[in-house]
Amino acid sequence: MNESQHLSSQFDDELSRLRTHVLQMGGLVETQVSAAIDAYSTGEIASVKTIVETDRKVNDLEKAIDDDCAHVIAKRQPTASDLRLILGISKIVTDLERAGDEAKKIAKGVRRIYENGHLPGQYGVGVRHLAEAALTMVRQALDAFARLDTPQAANVIRADTDVDAEFKSIIRQLITHMMEDPRTITTSIDIIWIARAIERIGDHAKNISEQVVFIVEGRDIRHTKEKAN
Amino acid sequence: MSAQVIRAVLLALLSILIALPVGYFVAHWAGWSVFCAGLGLQMLFHFRNFARLDRWSHRPVVDASLEGEGAWDGIFGRLYRHEKDLRTQISERDDQIRRLFAALQALTDGVVALDLSQQIVYCNTTAEEQLGLVSETDRGQPIVNLVRQPEFVAYLSAGDFERPLTLRSDRGTDRVLSIHVVTYAGDRRLMQIKDVTQTDRLDQMRRDFVANVSHELRTPLTVLAGFLETLQEIDLNRAEQHRYLDMMAEQSKRMESIVQDLLTLSSIESAPPPSNDVVDMGNLIDKLRRDGEALSAGRHSIVAETDRLCDLRGSEPELVSAFGNLIANAVRYTPAGGTVRIEWKACAQGAEFAVEDTGIGIEAKHIPRLTERFYRVDRGRSRDAGGTGLGLAIVKHSLNRHHAQLEIRSTPGVGSRFAAKFPASRIARV
Repeated sequence: MNESQHLSSQFDDELSRLRTHVLQMGGLVETQVSAAIDAYSTGEIASVKTIVETDRKVNDLEKAIDDDCAHVIAKRQPTASDLRLILGISKIVTDLERAGDEAKKIAKGVRRIYENGHLPGQYGVGVRHLAEAALTMVRQALDAFARLDTPQAANVIRADTDVDAEFKSIIRQLITHMMEDPRTITTSIDIIWIARAIERIGDHAKNISEQVVFIVEGRDIRHTKEKAN
Repeated sequence: MSAQVIRAVLLALLSILIALPVGYFVAHWAGWSVFCAGLGLQMLFHFRNFARLDRWSHRPVVDASLEGEGAWDGIFGRLYRHEKDLRTQISERDDQIRRLFAALQALTDGVVALDLSQQIVYCNTTAEEQLGLVSETDRGQPIVNLVRQPEFVAYLSAGDFERPLTLRSDRGTDRVLSIHVVTYAGDRRLMQIKDVTQTDRLDQMRRDFVANVSHELRTPLTVLAGFLETLQEIDLNRAEQHRYLDMMAEQSKRMESIVQDLLTLSSIESAPPPSNDVVDMGNLIDKLRRDGEALSAGRHSIVAETDRLCDLRGSEPELVSAFGNLIANAVRYTPAGGTVRIEWKACAQGAEFAVEDTGIGIEAKHIPRLTERFYRVDRGRSRDAGGTGLGLAIVKHSLNRHHAQLEIRSTPGVGSRFAAKFPASRIARV
């Protein structure tokens, strides 16, 4: 009796440590994304190097967390909600890692634009707004995971539609712009890449939220049209 | 206590006394039954009181329901008083704790108490707002799960709390927090969070000001020194000498205008309040429009719209310089072919002087800092346009002295509107 209690509390500790690691990784990705956005609007490309370096840390954490998940499954054979938590975590870290990669892409795109002596100009505002929306989504998705808060997760899933719409409107604007003045094509394409990366970050935040719903309720709501009520 | 024992023994003796004659005269069993009945009665009496106590102890209420008989009454009374005292003490302590928590809630600094494994034990509303926590649901949650910034996680796990951590809040608001961790009750941690946004901004302004003054003065000085050196070392013909001297004169004029602006600013700051003379706004705006046209040299269309029924009280030179500055800015930052509108009209609260242009506009993040000394949205461009970086700072001060508010609205790529709103006390109706 005593021993099994001891074991189960150790198990709880392991799970809570695992969650904290995931959220720490999330914190790194949040900083990466917000630093990339700052670089975009201020043109301080010195931070690009830090963003790329952080990506290495994120990758290491992803591997470490995946390893821990495998260990916990092998050692404890978790069931029900514990199992869902671990399965969810292993998917969340993949999404986080990819969001980090997208942040890296943004940073590199920013460096390209500014090194060629161009300025994002009038697209600065729209893209920045898009990026802030995506960053808020990531933040809320991680909060939802920390609190296992499904209503919050549902909000994030809903917000993704807005981000997608905003992304499309930026692309339309850029197309018009390129048609008017072909000299802007190089910069415009870079901005498209950046906007695309931001939109993908929003998608990853949505995926994370879907995993949160799965962890809490055991429902798989991926690829369904009417999302979490 | 001993009285109770004696009483019990006496009662037992009494039943023996009755039982003995009965046993002797009637029958043995009758004697025994009388004796047993006596003892039984006593037990019954005690049992009734015991049942009362039992009932009460399940749900101790402090009212008159706990009353016993005989010896039990004393016990019940003491229990009752004990319970009552306990309750008063508890409610007093509850009040104290509630007041203590209310005091913590009332603090303008954020407070978060952590337990041994860095989980949130308590946080007040200020901290909730600063860090985006929710007190009810986040208790027991490790703090690093919610405040995930790597700097914070590193600070907390390093355990070196000599110096506070300065953290830029990442929850939408652009705030700067200073987090101080102290240990309490063994190894538990208490976080105190101060909002240092204002101080941070002031520090930044002060640093920027010193750096900017030096920079603004050094640039023309470097040019001057360079030309001087050339003149000293190289033999130039007269025409070249003249060209260089002209450029030197231009640079020294530039330095002079910066120093002049700095002096104007400090004299406005320390000058007595402006006079109450009535300024003829019709004439003034005509003159300003002509100045604007001269500066624009036909590249913009400048329109003025004046409400001739209302004039302003104040110092004319200061107002001319402030309004002229706004118009000059509009002309400078509007590409050729644009429009600059000058407006003077009475409104509900007083009157408003506004300059609207169709220029390059200003991004929202620059607007709050625009009137800081030497603050430049785009360093290269404004200096090329001939600004000293002090214009708007002087405008703001002059307007403040006339109790006016400067309102700036702008959309990048579309245009800007600078409006000075004067209160009714400054208006003279014609």
